[in-house]
Amino acid sequence: MHIPEGLKYTKDHEWVKIEGQKATIGITDFAQGELGDIVYIDITTVGQDVNEHEVFGSVEAVKTVSDLFMPVSGKVLEVNKALDASPEKVNSDPYGDGWMIKMELKDASDAAKLLTPAQYKELIGK
Amino acid sequence: MIELPVLSAEESRKRKPSWLRVKLPTGPEYANVRRLVDTHKLHTICESGNCPNMGECWGAGTATFMILGNICTRSCTFCAVATGRPTEYDEDEPRRVAEAIRLMKVKHAVITSVNRDELKDRGAAVWYNTVVLTKKESPETTIETLIPDTKGNWEALYRMIDGGQEVVSHNMETVERMYRRVRPQAKYERSLEQLKRIREAGKRTKSGIMLGVGETQEEVFKAMDDLVSNGLLILTLGQYLQPTKMHLEVAEFIHPDTFAMYKEEGLKRGLRYVESGPLVRSSYHAERHVNVPIN
Repeated sequence: MHIPEGLKYTKDHEWVKIEGQKATIGITDFAQGELGDIVYIDITTVGQDVNEHEVFGSVEAVKTVSDLFMPVSGKVLEVNKALDASPEKVNSDPYGDGWMIKMELKDASDAAKLLTPAQYKELIGK
Repeated sequence: MIELPVLSAEESRKRKPSWLRVKLPTGPEYANVRRLVDTHKLHTICESGNCPNMGECWGAGTATFMILGNICTRSCTFCAVATGRPTEYDEDEPRRVAEAIRLMKVKHAVITSVNRDELKDRGAAVWYNTVVLTKKESPETTIETLIPDTKGNWEALYRMIDGGQEVVSHNMETVERMYRRVRPQAKYERSLEQLKRIREAGKRTKSGIMLGVGETQEEVFKAMDDLVSNGLLILTLGQYLQPTKMHLEVAEFIHPDTFAMYKEEGLKRGLRYVESGPLVRSSYHAERHVNVPIN
């Protein structure tokens, strides 16, 4: 199970890469493994302000659909367009080419509420 | 001439309806189940079957153990469990399952297995010992065993169901016409006979059918009638979901209202208990089935 250092995590299995006021978000290696073959990413919140814990999109695997939750409040700036044609990148490279959105944090101090790699590891029982 | 709407590749790929949304597993209970399963070197159908309810069940501290290895001698087209020549036969497995169930403090345990058609006893000895040891370790725990068909080996069947479990399930999986597509090495009549024999042996019988593989409503009603006349008490109906792209495709997403209609229809036709809904799986609400009267 790959849980890179240097990223923050949520209990909903998202990873968050914070760069100042901005952040990149995707789902973890664990999440893609649980979901199985991912076939569609549905994100229609670009340009919108979304609160922490609210749904910003959904990810559809061959077997199930799961909501994507905003790790911290802020504005969705950009969605990874490459996933429209190649959603399987979320399976093959969840922390790299499989990123899902870029966002602007409403309050940069919110990042402190996110989980550390060790806390996330504990959460998934690994 | 009627003009048909042109479906884009995307639409025809059948996007899943909103009622099939699930949450990924998380939390301390999940982590606890995960650790017990790993340290006891156990298999679960939750994982092997890529079950959509895993988040809910594991998060509530429960799991369905799969015994006799994780390689199956059957190649059913709906099922994510690997097919092949099984390599595992572990006489210590019953003890580890019983211990994990005790440590998880499970009130109602559901145990299933792969098919072991290559074994003379079809795995009945391991089945029997698992149930007996679980009862010994956790006398208060009720048990449901979801067993494979024994390919007409009734002696093996009677051994499998003799450990003191409260519920014995055997899933029909689909209607008669779809057997060749869905369960190529199984026989509709043989599975019905197995259920009949389980009931005649005085056990609480349960079965399950997946909907959305291409069956018609009439065929589902017929299956219900066949099950009632073969002594079935409890039936589960759920939406078939393709576990990977390599498996049988979903023919139809059945609406929740239709599931509700099937439940009513099943009860009208003489079933004692019907669990029916898109995300219903064999072990869903299984603890409630223990109380269904046998006679």
